Amino acid sequence: MILADFGTSYCKIIDFDKNCEKPQIVATKKIDRQLRVDLATGHNGKRFAAKYVNELTALARGGEELITAENYVLLDCGSRDLKFVRYEDNRLADMGWNTECGASMGFTIELLERYYELDFNKLEVPDKTFSITCGVLGMSHIFDAVTSGISEAVAVARFVKGIAINAYRFAGSPDIIYLSGGLCANRLFVESFPCRVVPLGRFVLLRGLESEIRNRVPEAGNPKTQSSICRI
Amino acid sequence: MLTYTANNYIDALIKKGTRAGIVGMPPMAVINKLITRQVIIFDLDEPIVKKNMEDALPFLPRVYCAVLRTVVLNSMNLDLEVIFIDVGPGKCDCALHVATILAHYLDIPVIKTTNLDKQPFGTPICRSRMPLLEKMEKITAGVKSSLAADQEDVPFCCPTAGFWGVPPRDFSLLKLFPDSTHIYGWTRCMENKTPADLELEGYFNPDIPTVFFAQSFCAKTALAKLLADRHPRGLYVDADVTAGSSVKAKIQAFLELSGVKL
Repeated sequence: MILADFGTSYCKIIDFDKNCEKPQIVATKKIDRQLRVDLATGHNGKRFAAKYVNELTALARGGEELITAENYVLLDCGSRDLKFVRYEDNRLADMGWNTECGASMGFTIELLERYYELDFNKLEVPDKTFSITCGVLGMSHIFDAVTSGISEAVAVARFVKGIAINAYRFAGSPDIIYLSGGLCANRLFVESFPCRVVPLGRFVLLRGLESEIRNRVPEAGNPKTQSSICRI
Repeated sequence: MLTYTANNYIDALIKKGTRAGIVGMPPMAVINKLITRQVIIFDLDEPIVKKNMEDALPFLPRVYCAVLRTVVLNSMNLDLEVIFIDVGPGKCDCALHVATILAHYLDIPVIKTTNLDKQPFGTPICRSRMPLLEKMEKITAGVKSSLAADQEDVPFCCPTAGFWGVPPRDFSLLKLFPDSTHIYGWTRCMENKTPADLELEGYFNPDIPTVFFAQSFCAKTALAKLLADRHPRGLYVDADVTAGSSVKAKIQAFLELSGVKL
């Protein structure tokens, strides 16, 4: 059985038939178009699988598997968008998916790292930040800063911090954020959040798919609604 | 141009076959008269004219309620003879301004009405078991009728999910809900034929996961957001002309994660 999270930039694939212990990470541009998996999530997932799980559902199920707290916010920062789920008393309380104003944040961060030949794990978190709501529009802040004499490294670090703060606000400004996605490995990004961050790595959605496969019976609707006497 | 009230215009000038547009829910007295006179009624809130929404740009800003942009597109293209547009608590402030715009650009009477009807017609469709899209179509079609829904045609069910709000510009998002979804908010007021009943509009069922929907840029977004925050399992969403994939995914995930059987 093959499960896969087909992200915008990277696909995370696990093949249980091959006894894989760790999921494989493949650049989306290199994915074989003939590939077929049993269960998929992610932006491109519907093209590769007969059965598809909504990304927010996969994220939430993954969080249920990995997080023991009863109250938490789980934020996924992907290449293209931001998603979060908030749980209270082990029950979904809120969720959000920002595809427009969170556009291309992760993708832009990776591009900048390569173009400016930076190592985000070595850059210090800057005191100042840019006000950024979108990766694409935020780039002009970097160009302006560099033009004004600020080093490229500092300008990009301010940009990354701006993105972290925007993601934090989008998630409802919680005290603790459980973070999902490839940016968990980006120390500058993780440390730029103005709250405690618990990085869960980039396979949270895959864990959500595993949970779905186990066919967990969803919690039944409120018992009151099953009764012949119901509020209408 | 003479200023008419709805009633004296209908009494004086309207005849069989007149092409009349309605916006929102004009009072039952007006609808009754239009039906009696065998007027051809066009519900201008619905996408009748198949034109690009951008064609409304000369008349309304792009960032404006998609339903009212639809009203303008329909009004400009349907060769109407008169428009009855409900303004005030039964519709929205934006409709009042759209009435001014229509009166400015069109050479036909644009007659403002204020529907304060209080007689309840009941809400059996809102509480029935049938596809949500079909329920919504029946309710919106009811705007042109002075009759209540036949309760025998609509089987009651206990709800497992709720949809609160106005009929969306894009009905496709309704396909995500189970047949046992009950309807609340202004759409319930529509079926009840009491569109200005703010108490009924503000009612929700705390026992069931409920999606609180409003059109983007509509004043009702504020009420939808407030009620979603107050509801134990509420999700606020808004959508513009079409419901994008993220809106649909949010609704789908919300229902799934709330344990609603789809």
